[in-house]
Amino acid sequence: MKNIFLPLFALLLLTFSCSSDDDDDTIYEEVAPLGAYENGILVSSEGGPSSISFISEDLSVSENSIYFNVNNEDLGVYLQSIGFNNDLAYIVTDSNNTITIVNRNTFEKIGTITTGLELPRYISFLNGKGYVSNWGDPNDATDDFIAVINLTTNAVETTIPVVEGPERILANGDKLFVSHKGGYGSNNIISIVNAISNVVETITVNDNPDEMIVNTAGELVVLCGGKEAWTGNETAGSITKINTTNHSVISSFDFADGVHPNLMDYSNGTLYFQTSSNKIYSMADSDTSLPTNSILDLTTSYTYGMAVKDNRLFVADASFTAQSEILVYDLSTATETHSFSAGRGASKIYFN
Amino acid sequence: MKNIICLFLFLSVCVSGIAQTPIDSIQTLDEVVLSDSKLKHYAPGFKIEVLNDSILRTNANSLTGVLAFNSNLYFKENGYGMVSSPSFRGTNASQTAVIWNGIPINSQLNGQTDFNTINTTNYDDIAIRSGGGSVQYGSGAIGGSIHLNNTLNFKSHFDTHIRTGYGSFDTKKGSVSSSFGSNRWSAKVGVAYVDSENDYEYLDTSKKNVNGAFNNLDFNFNLGYFILDNDVLKLYQQSFRSDRDFSGTIATPGQSRYEDKNYRTLLEWSHLAKMFNYQVKVAHLQENFKYFGTQSTVNYSFGKVNTFIVKPTFNFRFSEKIKLKTSIDYTKYEAEGTSFGSPSRFNVSATALLNHKVTKAFSYGVNLRKDFTSTFNNPLVFSVDTEYAVTNNYKLQLNGSRNYRVPTFNDLYWQPGGNLDLIPESSYQVDFGQQLDLGFGQLKVNGYYITTKDLIVWKPNKVGIWSPVNIAESNSYGAEVELHSHFHFNSHYFKINSHYSYTVSEDATTKKQLIYVPFHKANISVAYNYKRISLFFQHVFNGEVFTSEDNLKGRFFSLKAYDVSNIGFDFAVLKNSNRQLSLGGRVNNLFDKAYQNIAFRPMPNRNFNIQLNYKF
Repeated sequence: MKNIFLPLFALLLLTFSCSSDDDDDTIYEEVAPLGAYENGILVSSEGGPSSISFISEDLSVSENSIYFNVNNEDLGVYLQSIGFNNDLAYIVTDSNNTITIVNRNTFEKIGTITTGLELPRYISFLNGKGYVSNWGDPNDATDDFIAVINLTTNAVETTIPVVEGPERILANGDKLFVSHKGGYGSNNIISIVNAISNVVETITVNDNPDEMIVNTAGELVVLCGGKEAWTGNETAGSITKINTTNHSVISSFDFADGVHPNLMDYSNGTLYFQTSSNKIYSMADSDTSLPTNSILDLTTSYTYGMAVKDNRLFVADASFTAQSEILVYDLSTATETHSFSAGRGASKIYFN
Repeated sequence: MKNIICLFLFLSVCVSGIAQTPIDSIQTLDEVVLSDSKLKHYAPGFKIEVLNDSILRTNANSLTGVLAFNSNLYFKENGYGMVSSPSFRGTNASQTAVIWNGIPINSQLNGQTDFNTINTTNYDDIAIRSGGGSVQYGSGAIGGSIHLNNTLNFKSHFDTHIRTGYGSFDTKKGSVSSSFGSNRWSAKVGVAYVDSENDYEYLDTSKKNVNGAFNNLDFNFNLGYFILDNDVLKLYQQSFRSDRDFSGTIATPGQSRYEDKNYRTLLEWSHLAKMFNYQVKVAHLQENFKYFGTQSTVNYSFGKVNTFIVKPTFNFRFSEKIKLKTSIDYTKYEAEGTSFGSPSRFNVSATALLNHKVTKAFSYGVNLRKDFTSTFNNPLVFSVDTEYAVTNNYKLQLNGSRNYRVPTFNDLYWQPGGNLDLIPESSYQVDFGQQLDLGFGQLKVNGYYITTKDLIVWKPNKVGIWSPVNIAESNSYGAEVELHSHFHFNSHYFKINSHYSYTVSEDATTKKQLIYVPFHKANISVAYNYKRISLFFQHVFNGEVFTSEDNLKGRFFSLKAYDVSNIGFDFAVLKNSNRQLSLGGRVNNLFDKAYQNIAFRPMPNRNFNIQLNYKF
């Protein structure tokens, strides 16, 4: 029954939105029924109000505020990230210390985790458990932790103390790699949590490590932003590769002063990153130096998120006072092919 | 309520009496009782509405509560009692100046006054001056200015007024004030306290305002003393502190806590003479806040600014018709805070105000001001205004002005993002008003146009850091109608005040209406008095506002229009010339309407309070 109601509900919503801000109803009539989000692109917007947008895989249809449309309630602020595990999506909102669990295909709410979290940032999954990075009190450098979630009871079963400002968390083998961007301040640490013993090792990288991926060669690739000039103590950003077995730094490619990498993704054996000069570069696993020529120069006003799939680059041009815009580029021609509206403060792009 | 009527009648008699006395003696009188006589005497072409003591007493204690129901200002409150900022004639929160006894008190950190940190209990009147006032009041007086005035009464008297109240959400209020006067002395001391759990229901949900408790304490001390027959020394002192738990949104309950402390001291010496008189003001202001991210944390961020002002003023009266006021203002600001180090700056301004009463019906003013600031250049600002009485009961007012707003300490020094290259926002405006006396009341109709450029807007810069830039330009225009009426049938007295405003305020580039500026706002209050019984009803209508710059409508983009009504009564138990005791009550949000004036932050459901007043 639900499968019937959802499309109907979505159509109803569309009808309303058409009548309010678009006179040309015909555009929407050929639209396939929405409501099933199993294939496509999800965009999370920090807010406030926070929201999640859906873009269909073939880029023909999009729908904003899908969580509200399905559940008739708001997620709260600020929507940091979404983690996916089997059929479930875990939506992390930091200021209300909440993770909202939904079915990733229907977006129906299944439950929430509201205790044991303090300024949660990102979630990852390993061996049937969820691992959530938490800043704790952002003014306290010593209370940061990883919350371990029992995915059956959705309760925090234990916490693992870590150093200041844990950000991204990535599961690999029996280990969790945590980048410590530093919260309100700055940090330069990657923590490696042994998920069996909960023992934590740390290694030092350049300042402000943020996004991480594991490449085809099995290396951990970390994007370190470096400290910006305004701090009065500028340090170099880098792309740093780490051996996931012995945790040694394999190579570190430092950026020149004045250029800091912000965003990164990995697709089909190629690393893509965006820098503070708002240019996109690509880098093969085998490259021994940073690329010198960009593959695309963006004209977005605030590039706040990016993702790459099937030679398509998705960029979130965030606005915090109006709707954000999601731009899609064909990387083979370096041209913009599509654009979609998204919520306030669009930041993360996921492929569902 | 009887007091309102009495006071009103008394004022009417005073006004008609004063109208026959020579103009300079009124001014001399005002220079004695007021600190800010230019509010009345150098603004013939400006609309000024004065909310007197009786209106203040029958309204909420916060400046937000008073003005929402008694002026054209629109308010954005982060939940009841939380941070509150106005929009006056479509301008933003830092473009309304708040003036305390003639001294501008907007925060040097964010440029605004939080209207919920002004307790109105201890003021004698509050004036709303519409239109640009930068010449007289400096930075930020673009949409208009709000004047908090204490008056000194040198008539022989000794009064004490005690008020105490209790209401919904465990709200306790109390105040005591005493006023003393003799030939040479005038003194007034007042204390007011409010404490509320403020845990109101979010209507249409199962949630409550869980983290919204607040309390505040206001202490006021005013003193006047004639050192010589023509020399009066005045002291105004105010201390205010408040402690608030900050409400959250429907989906994100608040956890934080905020402490405010404000200290204001003004010492003034006036030499009174007919042709040439002078004044020297010395003032110290301190604003101080602490923000705690959660209830349990001991860590906080803070900001603090000390402001020192020295301001000599010279008044020349060339004839009965022409007068000139000149002043030099030296102000030094010293700031200190978690996110901006300890910057300081000074400002020197020179002001000249000329007023010429050409005939009884026609007068005009020409006013100039130039500021010199240590960190940026200020424009030369001016205003010209004129008033013309077409008939005895029909009057025209016209004014045009250039106004400005300087970058705040946050704008300049915030780390990261602070921008030392900012320049002041610059604004021009014209305002045309008509006033018609109808016998049973007064009708005012105004139309205005304001254009402001170099608006300071915080946005992410190219490396992704939020930083302020002089980027936007806005145009506002609109119409305001005010009707004030009073009449009686035998012993049944009625008083009606109402306001309506139509406001278009748009971004000059996108032509979109600015967020949180309603096209329509209206309010009405009706007071009724019969012998010992007084009743009042007040109602405000706020039109739909956009919460998103794209001007779309719907839950994520706009807030619905709303109506809110309050009703109250007062019964005079004891009513003689030296003792008055009354019992009153009021119901706020009478019809239990769910409404928000900031998105996702609900305002209170229906609530009640009772109040006891004793004056002797």
